[in-house]
Formats: sequence, C-alpha cells, structure tokens
Amino acid sequence: MVCKEWPEINLEEYEGVWVAAFSDNERKEIEEASLQLIGAARELADKLNTYVGVALIGSGVRGLAEEPIYYGADRVYVVDDERLSTYYPTVWGKVLFELASKYKPEVFLIPATLRGRELAPYVANSFRTGITADLTSMDVDENGDVVLIRPPFGGFMLAHIVTRSRRPVMGSVRPNIFPTPERDESRHGEIYEEKVEVPQPRGIRLLSREPILKKEEIPIEKADIIVAGGKGVGSKEGFELLKRLADLLGGVIAGSRKAVDAGWIDHDKQVGQTGKAVKPNLYIAVAISGAAQHVFGIREAKRVVAINIDPDAPIFEHADYGIVGDYREVVPALIQLLEEIRGIKGRRK
Amino acid sequence: MLKMVVGIKWVPNTTSVNIDPKTGTLIREGIPSVVNPHDLEAVEMALRLKDEYGGKVTVITMSPPSAIAGLEHVLGMGADKAILVSDRAFAGADTLATSYVLAKVIDRLDYDLIIFGQETIDSSTAHVGAQVASWLDLPYVYYVTHAELRGGKLVVRRSLENAHETYELDLPALISVAMHSLNPRRVKVSNKLRVKLENPVKTWSNKLLGLDPECIGLRGSPTALSKIEMVPKVPRKNEIFRGDAREAAKWLLEKLRGEGLLELG
Repeated sequence: MVCKEWPEINLEEYEGVWVAAFSDNERKEIEEASLQLIGAARELADKLNTYVGVALIGSGVRGLAEEPIYYGADRVYVVDDERLSTYYPTVWGKVLFELASKYKPEVFLIPATLRGRELAPYVANSFRTGITADLTSMDVDENGDVVLIRPPFGGFMLAHIVTRSRRPVMGSVRPNIFPTPERDESRHGEIYEEKVEVPQPRGIRLLSREPILKKEEIPIEKADIIVAGGKGVGSKEGFELLKRLADLLGGVIAGSRKAVDAGWIDHDKQVGQTGKAVKPNLYIAVAISGAAQHVFGIREAKRVVAINIDPDAPIFEHADYGIVGDYREVVPALIQLLEEIRGIKGRRK
Repeated sequence: MLKMVVGIKWVPNTTSVNIDPKTGTLIREGIPSVVNPHDLEAVEMALRLKDEYGGKVTVITMSPPSAIAGLEHVLGMGADKAILVSDRAFAGADTLATSYVLAKVIDRLDYDLIIFGQETIDSSTAHVGAQVASWLDLPYVYYVTHAELRGGKLVVRRSLENAHETYELDLPALISVAMHSLNPRRVKVSNKLRVKLENPVKTWSNKLLGLDPECIGLRGSPTALSKIEMVPKVPRKNEIFRGDAREAAKWLLEKLRGEGLLELG
C-alpha cells in the first residue's frame, strides 16, 4: 500500500543525474551555483555509471546550451521560451516538472540560490517525492541507493538520507559547497531543444524588478581573506574596527549567526550552516565562540585564526593560530602593525 | 478583513544543543523548545496586516502537545485562534508528509493568505511553504519583507541576491517572510488573560482529519534517514599565543607571512 496521492511509478525507468541550470537574466551566463552542481553530478553519475543531464530553462538561453557540456554534462535539455523571461516559481516549477517527467532522471539536483530554494520543493512536490535541502555530499550505498548527505543538527552530525520509494531523488545544494569544475571546451555532449507547454502564471504578476547594483564588493564566498566577527564583538562600531583590519589585509568582513541576528552585519555575509560556506586562504574569527554550525562554514578555509578573550572558547580547537585576548586590544594592535609595515602615516587611535 | 493562517514550528533551541563527549550523541535532555524565531516574524507580518486592514489570524502547528506553550505565546502576541495538529500517526514525517497534513488542515479553514517563516533554525529546509502551495495550487512568493493590500490584491516586496522585486498576488496566496526582516512584538498581558479565559487552542487529531495513514507520518515520507555520522573535525595547527596584544599581533603576522598568506610589500 502506498499513499493514494502518489502517482504510481516504475523505479526501474528512472536513470541519470540531472541538474537544473539557470541563467542570470542580467549577465546572460549560467549561474555559477549550477556549474558547481554539474561537477558534483558528474562524480555521482560516474559512480552510478550513468549520464549527467542538465535542464536549462529560461528566455534566450539557447546560446548557452554548450556551456553545461564544457563543465561536465552529457546531455542538455533546453527550454528557451519568451514566456520564461519573467520568473515565477509556479511556472518555472511546472516546466522543470514537465521536462523531467519526460526523461525520468533518477536524481534531480537544484542549486539552492534564493530562487532555487523557492523552486526546488515545489518541483519535488509535483513529483510527490521527497527532497533533501542543502546537501553537502552524495554517495551510493551498498544497496545501490543514492545517499544525499546533509548536516542536520547544528552542524555536528551528517545525516545520510535515502529516497527508496519515489523518484526522482531530489536535493538542493547551496552555492560554493562544491568547487566550480574546470571549463573544458573539448568535451562533447548532446543538446536537445525541448518544447514544453509553458503555463500562464496564475494569480501572480511581477510589478517591478530592480537589479541590485553590487558595490563591486567581493562576496564572502569568493574572498581570499575574511575577517569575521561574532557575538563578542558587541556592537556595530566593533565591526567598523574589523572592517579597517579587513581593508588593510585586502579582505572582506563577515559575521556569525549571532552577529547577524544582532543586526551588526547583513545576512548575506553570514558564515555557517544557515549562512554561507567560505573557502578563503585566511579566515580570522574575532570574538566568535565557535558553535558547530559556524565552524561547519569554514571547513574549507586554508588557515583559521581565532582571537577570543575566553581561553576555553571552542573556536581555538578549530584554529591554526589562536590569540587569547580582548579583540579591542588585539585588532587595533594588528591594524597599527600593518600600518607601520606599509608605511601608512598618521596612525589612528 | 483578511483571513490569515500562519504556520509555525516548535523547535529545540539548537543554539544550546551539545554533544556528549563520551558517547558522541546529542544531549536532548533539558534543551528548551521555542517557537522558531523566524516563524515569529511570520506572526508579526500577519498581525501588522491585521492592524492595518482588520482580520483574523489563525496559527497552526503540527507537533506533540508540548507546542501548546508556543501557541499560547503567539496568541499572547495577538493571534486570534490556534490549532495544534497532533497525533502519533503524524510522527516521523519528512517535509512532504508534513506539508500534506498542513495543507489538509488549511483546506478546512476559510483563508485569504497563508504565511510561513522563511526557514526553521533546527533543519532550515525552507521546504514546507512551497510544498503547501503546491498541494493547494496557490501562487506563492518567498522572502517577503513587506506586504500591503491594493485594490483587494496583496502587493509584496522581496530581495534576491541580485534584485529587488515587487509582486502582486491574487488571494488566496501563500508567502514566506524573509528572516531578520521584522521585529516580532512582545506578548501583551491582556492577550494572555484572554488565553487563560477562553482557551483558544484547539487540537486536531487524525480522527478528525481522517487522512490516509499511508500519506502521513513515517509511512507518508519518501525520504528516510539511513545513517548518522559525526562531522569529521578538520585538523588544525592549534598554536595558541597568550600575552600582550602587540606581541600577539607580531607573532600572528610573522606566522602568516611565513606561510605566504600576507603580501606585506
């Protein structure tokens, strides 16, 4: 007996590892999060001895169809339709559902950008299948089941999740969990131009869309040097001090969840399980206690420095270099020393 | 007069979760539960709309009975009614089975707008809103920071990584509220008094809902936990300096320069 709401399926028919790829409307290129997912799908598909398919949907995306192949895809299914020039989760969700229903992939992965996080559960629900959010790795177990792995409890433990009775096995993946594969123009693959019924959006209209003009600031997930502050920084002014240090080092500032919750720094600069995973060469954790969900976000950092007044703070166990001390003294000392080394005059206090 | 349903989750306060160093397992005892903080923002959004246009706010949660404390909290904030959806048959549900039950509950209510928080602090999937929208075939928008009525339609603003967007939604519709966007109001004593007198929390079990046992709880969940493993710790050098701040700064810059991590010209 299975739930009567679930359409009957034949598990044997489902094959291949699919990735949904979107193009950034403004820049006319495939989002990096999609490319990273193609790399991860390639690895999984090789373990399953199957192909990597990419569902590329949007308006004016036909010209980008070769790109997924260069990054590791075997087949690209393109739905290039003017009616997809505006994004609506229900419309895009239905198009992805129709497309994947036709080819029946075993696994379907969606990048967990903000749009992807909105869209992915809708697509999964259309199949009446489950979905694993924010997976961090994938594997195939001894039964041949695809295992999606995610950290559930504050970053302490990895949960291995299987989807035995339904297909596709669906998952979403946050940007920068997987590296962007090398672009290789010598790779070959097939491109399928698909005609899918694009439904009219019902009950929803986009009234305005204003691109956010990024202040040419490096996003934390791409930064080489990060100075991050936690609860112990204590104030917005404290973060200005961190910003001065970051500027001198040629880096950017970031924060822990508690610092974001306190309103000292924006959520898009939050490091950790519920924020972003970062991979700088140098990560300086200032007055961050080192909760597991935060430490999870800096696993890929090459070197971690911790500055904390509490010698027992867990962050020291996760640091290469630790300084026990008040950041209000240590950070100004670092700033002063850096200014002296660089010959910057007019020392500030 | 806007009829609103807000879905909330009663979650362990994960910021205080710890691991037993001997057994390596989660210490569950004594971890206080709270209303997921981002769901309080959803309640706040509903109450602001009610303040502005008049309306009724019904809060629902699928949970064991301990969540009554959470429902009383949001009633104290000013919600009108609360439904505890509770039955052993619902236990072990993944997001698909959870959203199915919530959709069936909401389907029995008279509503114009369904509001969820962006995500929970315990599992942070952000799934259930979109899944409920799918079951009920409703238009939906995530990450809403502001909502208002214009000519009987709901106009909402939200921000993505690279754009600010404004959507107009016909009602009924579903939205989720961007986390960190609203400051939830405090509990009012007069509301608490009303909760004491009127007992506005109703409990709905599956006896009432009559849902197919194959579609709910563990059996209605396509995803299953096959294994849990500890996150392996990344090996680090763990060199510690204690002492004068200037000496510490010198020590650190020497170390970093030695590894070529700083270009100091």
